[in-house]
Amino acid sequence: MRKLTLAAALLGFGLMSGTALAGSAWTGGDDQATNPLACDATPAAAAAKDYDGGSPTGAPDRAGKPIKVVDVPKLIGIGYFNATTKGILDAAKELGNVDAKTDGPTKANIDEQITFIDNYITSGVDGILFAANDPVAIAPVLKKALYKGINVVGYDANSTPDARQWFVNQAQFNGIGKALIDDMAKEIGEEGSFAIVTSTFTTPNQARWIAEMSAYAAACHPKMKWLETVEAQEDNNLSFNQATTLINKYGDELKGIFGMTSVATPASAEAVTQAGKCGKIAVVGLATPNAMKPYVAKDCVKSVVLWNPVDLGYAAMMVLRAVADGTLKPGATSVKAGKLGDLQVINGSEILLGAPYTFTKDNIGQFDF
Amino acid sequence: MTAARLLRHETILAILTVLALIVLANLSDKFFTAENLLNQGRLMSEVGLVALAMTFVIVTGGIDLSVGSILGMTAILLGVFWQNVGLPLPLAMVAALLCGTLAGLGNGLIITRFKVPPLIATLATLALYRGLAEGISQARSVRGYPEWFFYFGQGELLGVPFQLWLLGLLTTIAGVILGLTTFGRATYAVGANETAARFSGIRVDATKLWIYTAAGFLAGLAAVIFVSRVTTTRSDMGTGLELDVITGVVLGGTSIFGGKGTIVGTALGLILIQALKNGLALSGVKGDGTIVVIGVVLIAAILAGALFDRNRGG
Repeated sequence: MRKLTLAAALLGFGLMSGTALAGSAWTGGDDQATNPLACDATPAAAAAKDYDGGSPTGAPDRAGKPIKVVDVPKLIGIGYFNATTKGILDAAKELGNVDAKTDGPTKANIDEQITFIDNYITSGVDGILFAANDPVAIAPVLKKALYKGINVVGYDANSTPDARQWFVNQAQFNGIGKALIDDMAKEIGEEGSFAIVTSTFTTPNQARWIAEMSAYAAACHPKMKWLETVEAQEDNNLSFNQATTLINKYGDELKGIFGMTSVATPASAEAVTQAGKCGKIAVVGLATPNAMKPYVAKDCVKSVVLWNPVDLGYAAMMVLRAVADGTLKPGATSVKAGKLGDLQVINGSEILLGAPYTFTKDNIGQFDF
Repeated sequence: MTAARLLRHETILAILTVLALIVLANLSDKFFTAENLLNQGRLMSEVGLVALAMTFVIVTGGIDLSVGSILGMTAILLGVFWQNVGLPLPLAMVAALLCGTLAGLGNGLIITRFKVPPLIATLATLALYRGLAEGISQARSVRGYPEWFFYFGQGELLGVPFQLWLLGLLTTIAGVILGLTTFGRATYAVGANETAARFSGIRVDATKLWIYTAAGFLAGLAAVIFVSRVTTTRSDMGTGLELDVITGVVLGGTSIFGGKGTIVGTALGLILIQALKNGLALSGVKGDGTIVVIGVVLIAAILAGALFDRNRGG
């Protein structure tokens, strides 16, 4: 009996300390400067910045030649990265001179992703597309790729700029932050309380969005109340459990849940459905439309915010080809990306895909990913 | 428990490893190059270091599930001591290593003083140490280490990655301790029959305490090298490390029931897994396919070992 009590006490202590020591701002945000957009729809002006990406050493002339490209996303086997893969393959097919494939870890694990990239460098590819699990941890292996003359382009989740050539930015962080908070305010009112289910507190995209959401809410919806941010590691079961815990913990005080990943949002919607709280607790979040269709159809979820990941993969592949061909050089202000037209260069070495997209009951049926 | 039988499992494994190396070298001309092999050595160093201690742990009939969490906690403490507390980096490294060692000592104390089964004790500290890592880190990464620090994880000495020298040295030391010293024989005795060992006057608790403490120390050492290799600290570092480590040790012929196992076996087990992961990836097999092959090899090796034992009336 004593043994069990001890083990339980240790376990409890371990779990508690995780939350008890957390900071006072919205937990899960990062500590970088925020840049909230205007409360109305005024677009932000793009600031001019010099190219800050890296460049491969001794890269052979690949202009117009067939190239071998590997795409290493954060993890494989989830809807979101299946969609980016589809975009990459679409673009490769359209280009006709690219042999592209996707491979990566089955869990969003920094070490495994690094090993995958390392192996593909050894096997001799011409180009690497990546979505980083950690912006700094992935940098040494990407620099090694550049050093070996491989073209490196990121999408979805950035690395430190000098470790890759270009990064395709699916949506600016402040744009997503604004869209999420505005949608939530519309559903739960200006004085509603909400909680956040994220992947981990250090995942770069989610941390940045949460920081921007916090800044935008403070500026434009100051009376909304943030309750708590919980980690769910892009794990379906864990996300469901975390959302259920939030519902039980806060009861009627909880008016809304933000899902920060394409796994957390449907799992939170399922938790709300199973708790019989549809219509009482709003779920707003980032997710792929297919996963959200049942909840949107039942009116349990009204707004799903995202960009189009197929377009994102497509743009990344087009950018990589343009870099390999030498048509996209440091200092460029835009790049031609096939059917997407001209995409704008921002922040020195990033390429902006466009404004975020809110899927609703009216339009979600048109999307299949 | 004869030397001959121990040798046999390692012989099978060695043959299997050589076969795998030959097949993989034929599948991809990029595999059997000095550069690739040294790089693979670099990548397996963290798992390798922890596996040395884990071999001792499993030989005593125990298990340590908390090594991944200790790695995460030590990594975070390294960053916190350096950036938040303001210690000079070398001192922060020593302090973090000390904390990793203490975490291991903590495991040992819970297991020996309170007679908690190692599985339960380290399952609890798996959560405890990871929770501490996340709490202490305030969910922030520590970055911006000075250039010299990256030597441990990315540097080379005489053309061989630094951590591979370290791994080689410690493997030799661990092999000698387990195979040739009184302490090693005590380790086997504890695992083979703890009660008998106790009545034979072997200091069972002290032996275990040393071993779990060493596991903490090596997990801490792996943390420093890992941080140096990836240039940042995160609270989720080392998640799932315990499984990779235990897989290598068990494939190496160490019995999960204790009393049996060698460092040579562990080294071979780790090399086989790493070679398969790397070689299959280089020959165009995707990640999911590689995991399947590793699972099959693991089952085959363990079945072979079990059959072998039965034939010998084990």
